[in-house]
Amino acid sequence: MLRLRLQWPRLFFLTFLGFHSCRFNGVPAEERLHWRSFLVKLGADNLKHAKNEELFVASHKSVYIVYTVLGDICLYVVGKDEYDELALAEAIFVITGSIKDICKKPPTERTFLDKYGKICLTLDEIVWKGILENTDKERIKRLVRLKPPTEF
Amino acid sequence: MAQPLVKKDDDRDDEAEYSPFMGIEKGAVLQEARVFNDPQLDPRRCSQVITKLLYLLNQGETFTKVEATEVFFAVTKLFQSKDVGLRRMLYLMIKELSPSADEVIIVTSSLMKDMNSKTDMYRANAIRVLCRITDGVLLTQIERYLKQAIVDKNPVVASAALVSGIHLLQTNPEVVKRWSNEVQEAVQSRAALVQFHALALLHQIRQNDRLAVSKLVTSLTRGTVRSPLAQCLLIRYTSQVIRESASNSQGGDRPFYDFLEGCLRHKAEMVIFEAARAITELSGVTSRELTPAITVLQLFLSSSKPVLRFAAVRTLNKVAMTHPMAVTNCNIDMESLISDQNRSIATLAITTLLKTGNESSVDRLMKQITNFMSDIADEFKIVVVEAIRSLCLKFPLKYRSLMNFLSNILREEGGFEYKKAIVDSIVILIRDIPDAKENGLLHLCEFIEDCEFTYLSTQILHFLGIEGPKTSDPSKYIRYIYNRVHLENATVRAAAVSTLAKFGAMVDALKPRIFVLLRRCLFDSDDEVRDRATLYLNTLGGDGEVVETDKGVKEFLFGALDIPLVNLETSLRNYEASEDAFDINSVPKEVKSQPLAEKKAPGKKQPTGLGAPPAAPPTTVDAYERLLSSIPELASLGKPFKSSAPTELTEAETEYAVNVVKHIYDRHVVFQYNCTNTIPEQQLEEVSVVVDSSDAEEFGFVLSKPLRSLPYDSPGQTFVVFEKPEGVPAVGKFSNTLKFIVKEVDPNTGEADEDGVDDEYQLEELEVVSADYMQKVGISNFRNAWESLDADLERVDEYGLGPRESLAEAVNAVISLLGMQPCEGTEAVPSNSRSHTCLLSGVFIGNTRVLARLQFGLTGPKEVAMKLAVRSDDIAVSDAIHEIVASG
Repeated sequence: MLRLRLQWPRLFFLTFLGFHSCRFNGVPAEERLHWRSFLVKLGADNLKHAKNEELFVASHKSVYIVYTVLGDICLYVVGKDEYDELALAEAIFVITGSIKDICKKPPTERTFLDKYGKICLTLDEIVWKGILENTDKERIKRLVRLKPPTEF
Repeated sequence: MAQPLVKKDDDRDDEAEYSPFMGIEKGAVLQEARVFNDPQLDPRRCSQVITKLLYLLNQGETFTKVEATEVFFAVTKLFQSKDVGLRRMLYLMIKELSPSADEVIIVTSSLMKDMNSKTDMYRANAIRVLCRITDGVLLTQIERYLKQAIVDKNPVVASAALVSGIHLLQTNPEVVKRWSNEVQEAVQSRAALVQFHALALLHQIRQNDRLAVSKLVTSLTRGTVRSPLAQCLLIRYTSQVIRESASNSQGGDRPFYDFLEGCLRHKAEMVIFEAARAITELSGVTSRELTPAITVLQLFLSSSKPVLRFAAVRTLNKVAMTHPMAVTNCNIDMESLISDQNRSIATLAITTLLKTGNESSVDRLMKQITNFMSDIADEFKIVVVEAIRSLCLKFPLKYRSLMNFLSNILREEGGFEYKKAIVDSIVILIRDIPDAKENGLLHLCEFIEDCEFTYLSTQILHFLGIEGPKTSDPSKYIRYIYNRVHLENATVRAAAVSTLAKFGAMVDALKPRIFVLLRRCLFDSDDEVRDRATLYLNTLGGDGEVVETDKGVKEFLFGALDIPLVNLETSLRNYEASEDAFDINSVPKEVKSQPLAEKKAPGKKQPTGLGAPPAAPPTTVDAYERLLSSIPELASLGKPFKSSAPTELTEAETEYAVNVVKHIYDRHVVFQYNCTNTIPEQQLEEVSVVVDSSDAEEFGFVLSKPLRSLPYDSPGQTFVVFEKPEGVPAVGKFSNTLKFIVKEVDPNTGEADEDGVDDEYQLEELEVVSADYMQKVGISNFRNAWESLDADLERVDEYGLGPRESLAEAVNAVISLLGMQPCEGTEAVPSNSRSHTCLLSGVFIGNTRVLARLQFGLTGPKEVAMKLAVRSDDIAVSDAIHEIVASG
């Protein structure tokens, strides 16, 4: 039990595509359902008339949530402690930027799923089990192809 | 479930057909995974299959043990391919599969090879995968490579190793701690993210070593930190150092304040906020220190970026709790945020305004909130309701408009939690503001007329039963209560019957009419309702005439059950049905203290509303009273005048946790030591506290009541009683030593050894101060109360308080010295003001009401003078208050 608590990530994110595709990164399986319904409700209340890439922010108990709409995708980044709303805004900025680059424009459901594998790799480079690992779009693009960064 | 985006309902079907995952099915994908075993690997196809597997996993699909093993073995074959894209997929796939220990061995050698590869990126990824799946044994094998990787010149490799370190520290701390030299080197890295990760890891490694953290902070605040993220961490660690050093260096300049203040001009907003927050959270922050941070935050309130507005208003909201006056400058900006698109921001703005507003702005604010309430979610509404409750307690004269607001929103749509919050607030206001009582009770009566929540209805009925009979015209509530008997479900009907009976018992004039109503309930369709009606009709007596109800009967029917419910429950569970009836006197009355876990997490003390009276444990005061009266030696002392909040006498996480509660009586003081034994292998016996009162001359030792045994994690109390002169607020210091016999406990049987060893344990000092003799009792209208006291019993004098950090600090010092309740929000001192008036009220030992009017003024640079006027029912008490100030 204790170990589970320690491993609770300080930062995680999810992408929602409609209701049938939802990707969690860094959330223990038993928490997923709870988060999913909480965030879907949050999105339903607020994202209806949102402009593309307009950022929303909320706090729930001790965590912060920064979320946005990108084409057909709803994106939520959740964090606590040092990952407060400002660090999360930084993270979501990298994620939206990378997804746009991969899909060439704000993604539709189709383009997002077509590039699903590449998007998974990109997210893997950005956050690793609750710790922000990379924040530079160009570098991430290279890392996904196993190319070293251009500058050291 | 709501669907966030339904823009494209029309062409959804067409779109879905093209989805690469249309009709995806686990069995089929596992079949496809056999391509991993082909001698001629097709990297493209393999990548596609992996993508499908990832998709399944991310959808929450689970593999059985057999399936997972099969997929894992197939995946490991892919190491044979030299295709770069496939290799990257492979790394991710292994991480997602999180193989079991016996499977890990299969990939270890392949990953070790990659870890020593010439290609940097293979190294970085292999490290990440290995650390994700490794166990302790494997870790010692690869430790050498990890240490090298931390100082690798490629930042990606270094970051991979450092982040691995952060994760591994949770499971294998002793290994990771050996890397601190390398991590220290990485902190100096020129790569921004490496520095960020290294700093985080180094701090975690050293977090228990205050000196090392302090050194780290000192060196980095002088050097350069490249990434804003790392700078934020540094600010956090700096405030930690400031907090810990605060106790050592009283007065003088605060260390590192200049660093924090400098960060307010950093180019990254993230850093500015972190610094502003750090400053606002400094303990005992002065208004001079606070000003630059508030100014910066105020600018962000009108930023175009929602995240910045949110961060600013969230921080100011926190500041408003402790320094409401410092935030008032931002009120205009904050008011414009009420209409912010982002409801979280709007709610925070509202609640901040509620905290900083003054009495005159309440009405205007309430108007704005009324419009706002209809379009926010319940959870935000609850926050607003709680803020309004505290506002009303702060400005009791405004209760009318605030109470009306609460009753209006009570009538609107809302879920249970929200309604409960409103009802709780009304109940608290009724309790604390006498003028609001009748009005509030009627609002509650109206609410139960169409309340859909059984729980709330029964709670309100219970509350009406307690408060209603004490009002000037109890009969007007009867109609509301009796209506429930007609219209509600059985639970509510039973509650209504009890409430009616209470009115009958308390108000003799109503008794005949109540009897008529109760008789009608005898034909109810529910057993419980009938039983209750019968019981009340038979016990209240008088056969429905106007007679006084027997006191014993009242006590029997409505008196508090002086047995903790938990104990009763345990006894009932243990009771085996037999010839002997259950004897309620056999239930132990001793209140078992809270379990260890709860005590360690002291929650915010919030006034409890309805939930408290019937179900929840009695208030602490009641609990103390019951505990004290259950001990014969202490019961004879009478009722305590005041019980203090517990003071810790040990540091956190020591072997024995002891805190003390001071119970003040007219002629005695009782120290109640709450002891907890935190060592499972020990049992303590004959536990007592030896008190040295040589620094407390007016006190004479009377008796000590030791605790027979103190097993692990089951708190117990020992008491020491002192005599003191009657009515005199005697003060003094007491030093304490815990004495006990320690016995070892066999971990297998849980039994203690026969032989024990005498031991003692030094506790911290405790002090009885003047404030212990004063009860904080608020009043709603200070002026009326002041004028109702005889002006001849007033004592006025002037005092020089010497150099003080600020006016606010001086005001707070006097308030805590006297231990009285500030009235009408006068404890808050506007920043930059040169004079201030503070109104206090309380009850002094001997049950004498005391009011004090304090006028503060700045006489020179930082010199504060005070004029103190005290009125009370007894001139001697007025004098005593002056003596306290004069000697304080």
